[in-house]
Amino acid sequence: MTAGSDAPFDYDGPAELQAPITAALSRVVDPELALDIVDIGLVYAVSVGADSLIVRMTMTSAACPVTDLLVEEVEQALATVAAPGVSIHVDLVWEPPWTPDRLSQRARRFMGG
Amino acid sequence: MSPAPALSPAARVLRLLLLALVATALLSGVIGGLLRAGLALPMFEGLRWTAPAVVSHAALMIGGFLGTVIGIERAVAVRLRPAFAAPLASAAGTLALLAGQDGAGHALLLLASVVFTGVNVVIVRRQRAAHTVLLLVAALAWGVGNGLAALGERSDAVLAWWFGFLVLTIAAERLEMTRLTPRKPGSVAAFHAVVAALLLGAAAGSPWPRAGGLLFGTALALLALWLMRFDIARHTVRASGLSRYMAVCLLGGYAWLLVAGIAWMALAQGLPVRDVALHALGLGFVLSMVMGHAPVILPAVARVRLRFGWPFYLPLALLHGTLLVRLAGGLAGDGWRAAGAAGNALAMVAFAATVLGAMAAARRQPAPGPAPD
Repeated sequence: MTAGSDAPFDYDGPAELQAPITAALSRVVDPELALDIVDIGLVYAVSVGADSLIVRMTMTSAACPVTDLLVEEVEQALATVAAPGVSIHVDLVWEPPWTPDRLSQRARRFMGG
Repeated sequence: MSPAPALSPAARVLRLLLLALVATALLSGVIGGLLRAGLALPMFEGLRWTAPAVVSHAALMIGGFLGTVIGIERAVAVRLRPAFAAPLASAAGTLALLAGQDGAGHALLLLASVVFTGVNVVIVRRQRAAHTVLLLVAALAWGVGNGLAALGERSDAVLAWWFGFLVLTIAAERLEMTRLTPRKPGSVAAFHAVVAALLLGAAAGSPWPRAGGLLFGTALALLALWLMRFDIARHTVRASGLSRYMAVCLLGGYAWLLVAGIAWMALAQGLPVRDVALHALGLGFVLSMVMGHAPVILPAVARVRLRFGWPFYLPLALLHGTLLVRLAGGLAGDGWRAAGAAGNALAMVAFAATVLGAMAAARRQPAPGPAPD
C-alpha cells in the first residue's frame, strides 16, 4: 500500500487525531540519519479504533538490531496522544518493501536530492 | 509483531555471559597485540593464556571479539533464539584458543560462522535486497577464513578472508544507507565490481599471494574511494549530536581504509608495511566503525541507556592520533610502533570509560523521551 500524494501514510480514524499522531511519530528519530521515521517513510499506515491504535511500519533493513528499540519508541510516543485505555500495537512488516520513493521532500533535500 | 518483551531471567543470564566472553576476547586479544608490538608487560608474563593470546591475536580480535559482537547484533535483529548459538560458539572458541586448544578453537569459530550464515539466509528470505545478500556473502567469507584456519592454514590468505568478513559487513550496511541518497548512474555497478575484486583477491591469496594481495588491496582502496564519494556521512556530518559523531567516525574510517588498501598492495610486493596494512584496516577502519555505532547498538543489544555527549570524540581522537604515531612512526622504528600500540589500547580503555560515563549520565536523566537524541 502506498501513501497518498500528500499524506506520508494511510490513515484510518478520527480526523482530529491525525495531526497529533503524525506529530508523535515524527518525534521518533533514526539516530544515524538525523531524520524521523515519517520523513524516512517507514510508517505505512495508522488505524485508530475505539480501543486500539495500530501502526503498520517497516524498516530499511531486516538486519537492523535497533528495530525493537524504535518500535518501543513509537509505542511511547503514541502513548502521549492516545486516549487512556487504548491499546497500542506496532505491526512490523516487510511487504511492501521500503523504497527510496517513500522519502519525504525534506529528507531528499537533506540527503542531497 | 509484538513489541520487545522485557528480558527473561534466562535471557539476562545469556547476555551477561556473552558480555563477559566478549570482554575476555577483547582484553586477551589486545594484550596479545601489545606483546606482539613489543611492549613489556611483566604482569602478564608466565600466565597460561598469554602465549596463546599472542599467537591467536587475529583470531581473538576478529572471530572472538568482533565475530561474537556481530553475531549477537544479528541475532537480536532476526529475533530468533537459536541465532544466539553463533555468538556462543565463537565465544567458546575464544576460550578454547586461550586454553591453547587451537584445533577446538578454530572448529568452534567455524561452527559459529556456519550458524551465522544460516541466520543471514533467514534475513535474505525476509528481505531480498542487495545489502542483505552482501551480509550473507560476508558471513560466507568468515566461514571460508575459519575453514582454512581449521585446516591449519596460517597465511595472510586467512587474514584476507577474515578481514573480508568485516569489510563486507560494513560495506553492506553502508550500501543500505546510500539508498537514501540520489544514486549516480553506475555507482551501484561499481560497488559490486569492487566487492567482486575483493573476494577474488582473497581467493587468489592462497595460490598466488602477490597477485591476490595486490587485488585485495586495490579493492580496499577503491571501496574507500567509493564510500568517501557516495556514503550518507557526507550529508549527516552536517547534522548535530550523535548523527554528526557517527559521520565523523565513518569518514575517518574511510581515510584509514584507503591507507590500508595501499599498504596491502605494497605488502604483497614485499615492502615492510605489514603493521600498516593490518592495523589501518582493523583499528583505523573497523574500530572506528565500532566506536561510531556503539552508542546506537549498545542500547539495542545490551539494553542499557546512554546519553550521547561530546566526550565520545575524545577516545576517537586518541585512537586516530595514536594510530598515526604507530603506523607513521612505526616505519621509522619499533619504539614508535610500541608506543602507538599502547596508545591504541588506551583509546579503547578511554572509550569504555566514556560509555560508562554516558550510562551514568543517562541514569541521572529523567525518564526517556520518545526520541533517541
